[in-house]
Amino acid sequence: MTHYTRRQTLRLMLMAGTALAASRVLAAEYGRGAGMPWSPMSGEVPYYGTGADRFFSRDERLAVAAICARLIPSDEDGPGATEADVVTFIDRQMAGFYGRAQHWYMQGPFAEGTSTQGYQSEHPPAMLYRLALAELDDYCRSQRGGAFAELSEEDQDAVLTGLDEGEIAFERVSAKTFFDLVLENTVEGFFADPLYGGNRDMVGWRYVGFPGTRYDYRDFVGHNGAAIPLEPVSLQGRPGWSQP
Amino acid sequence: MSRLRNALLAGTFAGALGLGIAPAALAQELSFSQVERGRYLATASDCVACHTDIEEGGKRYAGGRGLETPFGTIYSSNLTPDEATGLGRWSRDEFYRALNEGISRDGSHLYPAMPYPHFTKMSREDADAIFAYLRTLEPVTAEIPENALPFPLSIRMSVAGWKLLFFDKEGFAVDPDQSEEWNRGRYLVDALAHCGACHTGKNLLGADKEDEYLRGGTLDNWYAPNIRGGVNGGLADWEAEDIVRFLGEGRSRHTAPMQRMGEVVGLSTQHLRDEDLMAIAVYLKSLDDAPREEAETPSQARFETGEAIYFDNCAACHSADRSGVPYIFAPLDSSNKVTAEDPSTAIRIILGGARAQQTEAVPSQIAMPPFAWKLTDQQVADVVTYLRAASDRKAGPVSAGEVEDMRAHLQEK
Repeated sequence: MTHYTRRQTLRLMLMAGTALAASRVLAAEYGRGAGMPWSPMSGEVPYYGTGADRFFSRDERLAVAAICARLIPSDEDGPGATEADVVTFIDRQMAGFYGRAQHWYMQGPFAEGTSTQGYQSEHPPAMLYRLALAELDDYCRSQRGGAFAELSEEDQDAVLTGLDEGEIAFERVSAKTFFDLVLENTVEGFFADPLYGGNRDMVGWRYVGFPGTRYDYRDFVGHNGAAIPLEPVSLQGRPGWSQP
Repeated sequence: MSRLRNALLAGTFAGALGLGIAPAALAQELSFSQVERGRYLATASDCVACHTDIEEGGKRYAGGRGLETPFGTIYSSNLTPDEATGLGRWSRDEFYRALNEGISRDGSHLYPAMPYPHFTKMSREDADAIFAYLRTLEPVTAEIPENALPFPLSIRMSVAGWKLLFFDKEGFAVDPDQSEEWNRGRYLVDALAHCGACHTGKNLLGADKEDEYLRGGTLDNWYAPNIRGGVNGGLADWEAEDIVRFLGEGRSRHTAPMQRMGEVVGLSTQHLRDEDLMAIAVYLKSLDDAPREEAETPSQARFETGEAIYFDNCAACHSADRSGVPYIFAPLDSSNKVTAEDPSTAIRIILGGARAQQTEAVPSQIAMPPFAWKLTDQQVADVVTYLRAASDRKAGPVSAGEVEDMRAHLQEK
């Protein structure tokens, strides 16, 4: 990582300001309009990584898939985390900037914090998963006779409840922090746009009747609570965008 | 004003600026009103757009902008009164000959990228005024790059043959059956603003096709739409007032000028007087067009696919019924770009996005986002096909291959 001195930073800011001012002057002089620069083909394309982004080892992936499947189970009521392929979403999340905590302040001190103060671990999320999953499988093997993914659903629920309620503690990381993080990421993976790897075929959106990434409901202003009969649509489209 | 005073004024001007104008030029009229008239006419003719290297931040009127033609790149000349590289040694007569006959000071032929087939209709008086204005510019020494043209076009004599075939040196003919306003509009459109340079279809050698007059033309992967305003014309749904606002303010109920036309509005038409813009509008509105040929109808499945893509991606701004929001989001059924025979501009704007020109009257910069990252070639083709079929001015289907070509072109840039 590059470290900038204060002088360098000031100089950069000055230069950036001058460059902006210069382009504005030129643009105004030519009558082509001032303000923000614009060029074709350069929209705000969401960053979503690639399908090749992988972080978890085989065992880690099995464990996370099993946890997700218990947090949002697949049952007669509807599809769950398994159908939505939430584990792929989390895998890509951990392989990307989120997993590296690239957008967070990650220097000490590391206090415990209150529940409203957000993520307090000294480990970036990906590392927290790695350390916690190793301890989780160790715990399950010693206490329940197999890795987490191999346990019965009842045993899995008991272990997860133990993590959530602080009855099970890990040595290197907080088991409760880990549980909260997986729960949060599982919900994200179930409802986030399929562009990011989860919510496969928009099962999460179909399940709750969310019409997807639409942002104009002028045609429905007068509906007063009636259901909106629209197919959900992802940033990547929907089946209706291709000819049958 | 006496001739002596003119000469004195000119002398003072030249002396004060240290221009070193040749004695012959000193004798020429350089009155304030003529210079101001020249400034206005040069603006109406949009000389500055081609004769300024806008991409590289060049000085105004100092030339050097590379104009991409189907035949190669032609660099514009330096119009400032610089002795060595500009018009410093040109006389008024030589300047008029360049506009009127397409012949340079040294007698060589100018490439018709310089729109002298239009400027030949300009009156001597107006050409002289423009020349007088150009003389007042600060001289800029700017060498112009060599044109990048293939043989035999690289030989300027080849232009002589082209002129023989396509160049009619006929002045502007007033139509006595039409109003003064109409004639003024026609003069502005044809002799000064040279709208046909883009909006008239060209033959294989780049000359205007007479029967395609203002019916739309394709240039450098843009389609400049049909701007005939009468029955069946591209602007049939526009009121004269819409044309005035489009050119003068950069917004109309139908669309806003973007990219190429944005440059024209930003540099030229927004500075024109309303009565001149109205004259242009009156003239354009008088031009009827032939009825459209029956268009091929897409399959029901393709229509519905295009409609689905439209509803999910476009309707939020352009409305589910494609009626848009006047002055902000273009209504699409009446768009002369969507329903043009050549769908290049519609495809290009969907792929790459576009931004409305900022003007003094309307400084906001609304933009259409690009969809290249989101829609496949087939999907862009389907949505354009849907729009063309749904319009009351039906136009035929578009193929994925056309979108693929445009995408390749845009990615290359």
